[in-house]
Amino acid sequence: MKRHFREWSVAAALVALLLTLAIAAPAFFAKQQLLTMLTTAAPVLVAACGMALVIIARQIDISIGSQFALCSIFAGMLAKAGLPMAVVALGAIASGAAMGAFNGAMVAGLGLPSIVVTLATMVTWREALRWWREGEFVKDLPDRFQWFGLGQVGGQAAILGSAALLFVLLAFAMKHLAAGRFVYAVGSDREAARLAGIRPQGVTFSVFVLMGALVGFAALLNAIRFADVDPKTGTGIELQAIAAAVVGGVAISGGRGNLWGVLVGVLLLSAIAPALVFLRFPPQWEKAIQGAIILLAVAADGLRSRKQKSQG
Amino acid sequence: MNTDRQRFSLKSLLRFEALLVAVLVIECLIFTRTGTNFATQGNALEIIKFSVEIGLLALVMTPVILTGGIDLSVGSLLGLCAICFGKFWRDAGMAWPVAAFATLAIGAAAGSVNALLITRLRLPPLIVTLGSFSLFRGLAEAITRGVDNFTGFPPDFLAWGQGYFGGIIPAQMPIFILAAAFVWLLVHRTTFGRSFRAIGFAPEGARYAGLPVERRIAMAYVLSGIFAALAALIYVARVGQAKADAGTGYELLAITAVVLGGTSIFGGVGSVHGTLLGVATLAVLKNGLTLSDQPSELAGILTGALLLAVLAGEAALKKISARRGRSAILSPKPSSST
Repeated sequence: MKRHFREWSVAAALVALLLTLAIAAPAFFAKQQLLTMLTTAAPVLVAACGMALVIIARQIDISIGSQFALCSIFAGMLAKAGLPMAVVALGAIASGAAMGAFNGAMVAGLGLPSIVVTLATMVTWREALRWWREGEFVKDLPDRFQWFGLGQVGGQAAILGSAALLFVLLAFAMKHLAAGRFVYAVGSDREAARLAGIRPQGVTFSVFVLMGALVGFAALLNAIRFADVDPKTGTGIELQAIAAAVVGGVAISGGRGNLWGVLVGVLLLSAIAPALVFLRFPPQWEKAIQGAIILLAVAADGLRSRKQKSQG
Repeated sequence: MNTDRQRFSLKSLLRFEALLVAVLVIECLIFTRTGTNFATQGNALEIIKFSVEIGLLALVMTPVILTGGIDLSVGSLLGLCAICFGKFWRDAGMAWPVAAFATLAIGAAAGSVNALLITRLRLPPLIVTLGSFSLFRGLAEAITRGVDNFTGFPPDFLAWGQGYFGGIIPAQMPIFILAAAFVWLLVHRTTFGRSFRAIGFAPEGARYAGLPVERRIAMAYVLSGIFAALAALIYVARVGQAKADAGTGYELLAITAVVLGGTSIFGGVGSVHGTLLGVATLAVLKNGLTLSDQPSELAGILTGALLLAVLAGEAALKKISARRGRSAILSPKPSSST
């Protein structure tokens, strides 16, 4: 309990919110509404897991919103060209990984600060996309694109199932596989990790590539919910992902955090918008409340560590 | 030893700024050929007029980054302040100068929130200002319910964003020059500026040297809030409208300008004149491309590419000079005594 204070307190906040909703607005728990909420949250979860890895490795990636948009457009165009959905999925993931590799090469190879590198790539990719598409949607997609051609029920099941599977695999890998522990090692002490025989540059590079690949997959999961692909999609997802990771207890100073906390963070943050609607609260408050939750979560941590210090 | 070190860093700074001046000169040369009416006095003043808001944010971002921090909330705060100004003037019935002062107070208060969380609770600035980035923009949206906007401001207020002194000089230019002079003096000619750098260079060292680290950091963020409010006023006066989405993305442009201007994102090293050069480089790029009938997206792409190129160049330079420095230590002194 003490070790996972943040995870448990955020989970408690989520439970409190759900209890309030259960009493004040039971319609929130209608099956269709819950499914819609969760399928909207699934891409965010995938991206937030990648972001958690990046932050645990003591880096940050603010370019994923632009990567997300580009991957969505690539997926749409591949589908429109008549390729099978498996190729479309691979294309989205590969293009994300390629953009992640560029960030990784700049950060790990040249030793540039990740926040500046990804700031630059964020602007560059986004503007390149605007120049290329001029805001045009990808339309007239084949039937097998939306919901993977499975209809809404099957499509939602596919999205939730694949996101859940990916999440469990990643959570397992971060806890039990050597590669996962390497990420923690590099994030908590790069020099110690190097002396222990880990190659920090390789780990940092791989984390960025994985981040890109996950963004590509998240973009695919998001794009297939609609009939067209919007080139503006994914704006601000970098902040959602960072917020979810931080609220879920991933320390921005690296080396600490786990994916189960991120899952709770994603659920809490994505429950806010529908909860506001069901509690008859003006939905424009969503962003303000999200900001307040981020600040509260980190402030609680700060107060706690101060208390511990003064006691110790 | 100390003067040696200073001389060395001054030299390397000059070298870096020379690189930026070269980029600026090349830009101007190219756009003079390709752009219609680029090299005119009117256009130069126009460039300044449109870069005042970003310029103010970048100016004050410099001390923040010098302390090793960052302020992602300035763009959102600009939006919130614009809305507050509109509220004060239209709904609370304040005269516009009163409303303007109240807005500056809001900016200072918002900056204090960041400052308190960062200094009292020792939270990372990136996360605190990410939270307030959401919070401030969210409050602006909540106050306006996402639809309300404020127009019809009195002409003597709008004059500060649209008017010209003597028919030539944009009205906001003197404000910007004053602000730039203030920040330059603060960073380069006062002990405050020295302490910003010392904190960014080594926070613990600064503490042991007896600097009031928390108070100095707090000062940087409060100043950042006040400048964001000032930028909001000028923005509203220039555009003639206050909406919740005012200043979206400005924080990134300001950070880009500061980093392009040679300030290290890790703190400790940087200059205000570098930041001004960075702002000018970005503003000329955007203006020149527009006048050359190039799509505006190209400006964004080139901004990103320029940022990466300058950083990579700096990293390479540093590697070379580090190698040279090491070999200077290792190689035996050219001795006259033997």
